[in-house]
Amino acid sequence: MLKIWSMKKEQQKADNADAAAGKKKKVTAAQLRVQKDLSELSLGSTMKTEFPDPDDILNFVLAITPDEGLYNGGRFTFTFNMSQNYPHEPPKVRCQQKIYHPNIDLEGKVCLNILREDWKPVLNLNAVIVGLQFLFLEPNASDPLNKEAAEDLRQSRDNFRRNVKTSMGGGSVKGNPYDRVLVNHHSYFHPYYDQRGGSSAGQEGKDFEEHQGRQDQGTVEGRG
Amino acid sequence: MTEIVMTQTPPILHGPSEKEKKYDRQLRLWAASGQAALESANILLVNSGTGTVGIETLKNLVLPGIGRFTIVDDAVVDEPDLGVNFFLDESCLGKLRSQCCTQLLQELNPEVKGDCYPKSKAAVDLNNILTTSPTFTLIMYTMPIKPEDLATLEAYGRQHCTPLVSIHTAGFYSYFRISLPGAFPIVDTHPDAEKTVDLRLTQPWPELVQFAEEMTQDIESLDDHAHGHLPYVVILLYYLGKWRDAHNGANPTEYKAKVEFRKTVADAARTDNPEGGEENFQEAVAAVNRSVKAQSLEPTLREVFDHELSNEAELRSSFWVIANAVKKFHDKHGALPLPGSLPDMKAESKVYVKLQSIYKAKARKDVSEVLETARAMAGGEDVDPAEVEMFCKNASFVKLVNATTDGRDLSKIYDSEKANDELAEAVGMPLSLMPIYLALSATSHNAAATIDEIKAEVSRRIPGAADDMRVLQAAQEVARAAGGELHDLSAVIGGMVAQEVIKIITKQYIPIDNTCIFDGISSRCQALRL
Amino acid sequence: MAVDAGVGINEANRWRYLNHIRKTKGPFNEDAEISEDGPDPLQQSKILVIGAGGLGCEMLKNLAMSGFKDIHVIDMDTIDISNLNRQFLFRQHDVGKSKAEVASAFVMKRVKGVKITPHNCKIQDFDEDFYKQFQIVICGLDSIEARRWINATLVNMVDDEDPDSLKPLIDGGTEGFKGQTRVVFPTITPCIECQLDLYAPRAAVPLCTLATIPRQPEHCIEWAHIIAWDQEKPFPSLDKDDPEHITWLYEKALNRAQEFNIPGVTYSLTQGTVKNIIPAIASTNAIIAGSCCLEALKIATQAAPSLGFNDNFMSYDGTEGVYTNTFKYEKKDDCAVCGSLAKPLKVDPNWTLRELLESFATNAAAQLKKPSIRTEEKTLYMQFPPSLEETTRPNLDKKLRDGLGLVEKQEIAVTDPAFPLLSFKFILRFS
Repeated sequence: MLKIWSMKKEQQKADNADAAAGKKKKVTAAQLRVQKDLSELSLGSTMKTEFPDPDDILNFVLAITPDEGLYNGGRFTFTFNMSQNYPHEPPKVRCQQKIYHPNIDLEGKVCLNILREDWKPVLNLNAVIVGLQFLFLEPNASDPLNKEAAEDLRQSRDNFRRNVKTSMGGGSVKGNPYDRVLVNHHSYFHPYYDQRGGSSAGQEGKDFEEHQGRQDQGTVEGRG
Repeated sequence: MTEIVMTQTPPILHGPSEKEKKYDRQLRLWAASGQAALESANILLVNSGTGTVGIETLKNLVLPGIGRFTIVDDAVVDEPDLGVNFFLDESCLGKLRSQCCTQLLQELNPEVKGDCYPKSKAAVDLNNILTTSPTFTLIMYTMPIKPEDLATLEAYGRQHCTPLVSIHTAGFYSYFRISLPGAFPIVDTHPDAEKTVDLRLTQPWPELVQFAEEMTQDIESLDDHAHGHLPYVVILLYYLGKWRDAHNGANPTEYKAKVEFRKTVADAARTDNPEGGEENFQEAVAAVNRSVKAQSLEPTLREVFDHELSNEAELRSSFWVIANAVKKFHDKHGALPLPGSLPDMKAESKVYVKLQSIYKAKARKDVSEVLETARAMAGGEDVDPAEVEMFCKNASFVKLVNATTDGRDLSKIYDSEKANDELAEAVGMPLSLMPIYLALSATSHNAAATIDEIKAEVSRRIPGAADDMRVLQAAQEVARAAGGELHDLSAVIGGMVAQEVIKIITKQYIPIDNTCIFDGISSRCQALRL
Repeated sequence: MAVDAGVGINEANRWRYLNHIRKTKGPFNEDAEISEDGPDPLQQSKILVIGAGGLGCEMLKNLAMSGFKDIHVIDMDTIDISNLNRQFLFRQHDVGKSKAEVASAFVMKRVKGVKITPHNCKIQDFDEDFYKQFQIVICGLDSIEARRWINATLVNMVDDEDPDSLKPLIDGGTEGFKGQTRVVFPTITPCIECQLDLYAPRAAVPLCTLATIPRQPEHCIEWAHIIAWDQEKPFPSLDKDDPEHITWLYEKALNRAQEFNIPGVTYSLTQGTVKNIIPAIASTNAIIAGSCCLEALKIATQAAPSLGFNDNFMSYDGTEGVYTNTFKYEKKDDCAVCGSLAKPLKVDPNWTLRELLESFATNAAAQLKKPSIRTEEKTLYMQFPPSLEETTRPNLDKKLRDGLGLVEKQEIAVTDPAFPLLSFKFILRFS
């Protein structure tokens, strides 16, 4: 057998590591990276994490409660799942509610470039979280996942705004029921949201269908 | 659930056949055409010595499904064979090696036919085997070989235009050399997809110009969505037009002009949208370098155009008729036939499909012009349109292997390799492996040669070479093996030779021209034309 | 050595070529320690092959034919018909059986005297105790994840007090006419993780392109795969090897392609795109597996210098002529696996976690002000995010051994936002 060990000894620096092997499992590269990412996270007041199992840091839930923009007043939760291949692979992120958003489809898939085609291992969880936050401030009608929502936004921002509110209240838009995500009723009836919407009231009536019985389904308030 | 799906499946949707399933992973490399070529191939192996590398090569050809192989080998299986050749076991002791190997190789793929000689323990009459067998597509032989057998094979190769592959392996060293019967053209060379993009931006045709103009006549007043979905081809054609207006009709094909042109395009992107930029304009900027260029011929294609037809076979071949027709096309239009493929780019589906069809239509038009030219030429009356289409699609990357027959003076090559080594040594690059070739080929007919015998033979071919330290080391290493093969090394070479044989038979990818020397000690190889 | 294998064959005769070469010194192994009467390294080396697929079949054959006597092989897969064009130890009637078992049985039957032990399971099913028994590990894998796992395991196993804990790792990989061989001496030379940037992530198409503006046949297939499947869930879960599932996707993709006038959706393309099929042929596997085993033979017998300390990487490209590039890949100082090896840390088991964290602030090597700390299975204390801080805060007042259940030789990982490029791993030693 080749004398690898003597070569190791020769190469070894004075302060080299001592990896006296124990029986215990070693922290994996993915875990270490997520630990680092988490401790460097900068969460604004609009974001909160929840760890269903605090010992499993590769899985957590992020709640976003936008305090401005079209989605103000809602609370949206996203599951984050990092595989052992993280950060070689991007985190898997899904919205847990069915929401009316051009860049999030009805199954919760999110169209965010850094979650797919533009992911690089130098990016971190903070970059993803900033990206998600941005989606609520600037929904993008170009090349959407939810075509109806995008078309709506393209044609009339006011109309889109109203439909967003309807959907956030648990109502249906174009026959499609959405999950109720409002933090409280107060923000739904906040005068700000209706102040500029006079011109297309008729359409609002058509789009809005109160959906009985959905109030408690999938809303965030109901979660423990 | 299951039944519903099955009944909904129309008959045209049935999956692949059993054979397609079995060969799936290779069909993705050489397609049905390559597979058909393999399946009609008839390969001869003339085996000798410790006899492993040829068998390992055949294994890698039987698995992908060549039509037929024949092994000629008069050795009788002995104990040392079992320590180096996997396609033998103890039940083979005392039997003919050719027979035993043929049987165990055939188990690998029931679709392949195998044959072997001699039929009984008697001397092999190679001449007789060659004259009584169906014509061989390719012949491989391993060293050491009797000089008279080598002469027989070479004569057969000349007569039938059969590619010959010689393989020599000893210990950690090996080389193999391919003799092709004259210039060997390859159309389907499989270049990298990005290299093949040809958008003709500096030589657009009327339909393309019209399409681009329609989309950009009001470019400034397009809404953000439409502007952000202009295909980059259209963007570039528009700004190229403006550029030419400002530069006396000249395109930005020089470096400095390209930099400036790129900036023009980049500055034209809108940034006051939610994304803060436009992906299609980014794509356009990125495409300037490779797609805005004056038409020029690849040197490899120039070699095809300049090739002088030298023999009967070439005069009769449809390849040369088509090459000539394409050359005429190029002379007339100043451009090759359009390959016709369009890379993916940000665009609305409908727009992209339309643009794609404009490129395809132009490519089809070019193909029919070439076809017409070819059919009007002597010998081109029956040229296959599919062959013309394939040529036009790949024209830029058509490659002539073994284009010339000159310049094979071993001493001269050796001198030039030594001169290169002085430079290589100074900059820490790997040195020539030619000493390995010299030492191995000194044992072509005498596997167990001593160091002194090897040195003497090298010196006979290249006076003084045996005094070189590296040649001496190679001679020592070859002598160390005493003609024995290392199974691992023969496995490596068996794989390398099989790859080259597949490329020759399928006429796809580019086979080596013409010798590969492998050093199993430093784990690297060198290609040399010898 | 001259003991026969029990079938009447003289072993000395049988291995004549191999033994002649390895017992004769050449000009390039003059310093090798080769003795005529000492223990035979081939008899003594236990070697592990990971993967019994395209490369693995070749490796088992090659190692047996190189005189290795004790070989183990791990593979959790079963034989598929599309393996038969290259995995030459398998036949039509083996389809559905365990790769590891069929391959082992075949080689043992053909090459008398070699013992091959198959393990029909995942590499993750074994712990260090299992991997400890081998002298060399050879991988013929198609997954980056499995490579990273075995690499991290072998790097972490290296014990400075035990030369036998260092296992050379030889790794092969192929794609079409191309391939590579590399040799890793864990902790000494660059490891697989150091070389991760070699694997360009698969180019992905934006989700919105799939949803809104498909242009290529692949876009239609990915749409069927990612979006349509998710919406319609035609089967409980997608099995990419089930032709019925692939047919469903193919049909969906074909309909979508027709809707947008996109040509080129075929069954084969659907399968290739969904499964990310990499073309594979016998000859490339032969080259790379042969090269890997040649390195194993050189390492075990010193018959010639191996890849490793100097050049450690050989890449092969047969698409255009024959081309190899053999070079020295450099070790990465910030490698997540071998860049920061765990250092021993003396602690009092009766300390509270708070006391341990405070000690990091004064520890000369660390000087951490806001350390977060975990083991592989337990989050001990995280400074951030707030929810995790809150849940783990009670741990601060628990004692290391009795309160938190930490044990001697446990590995802990410590990070601190003040050192964004660093992380610290320690092995606990109780004082």
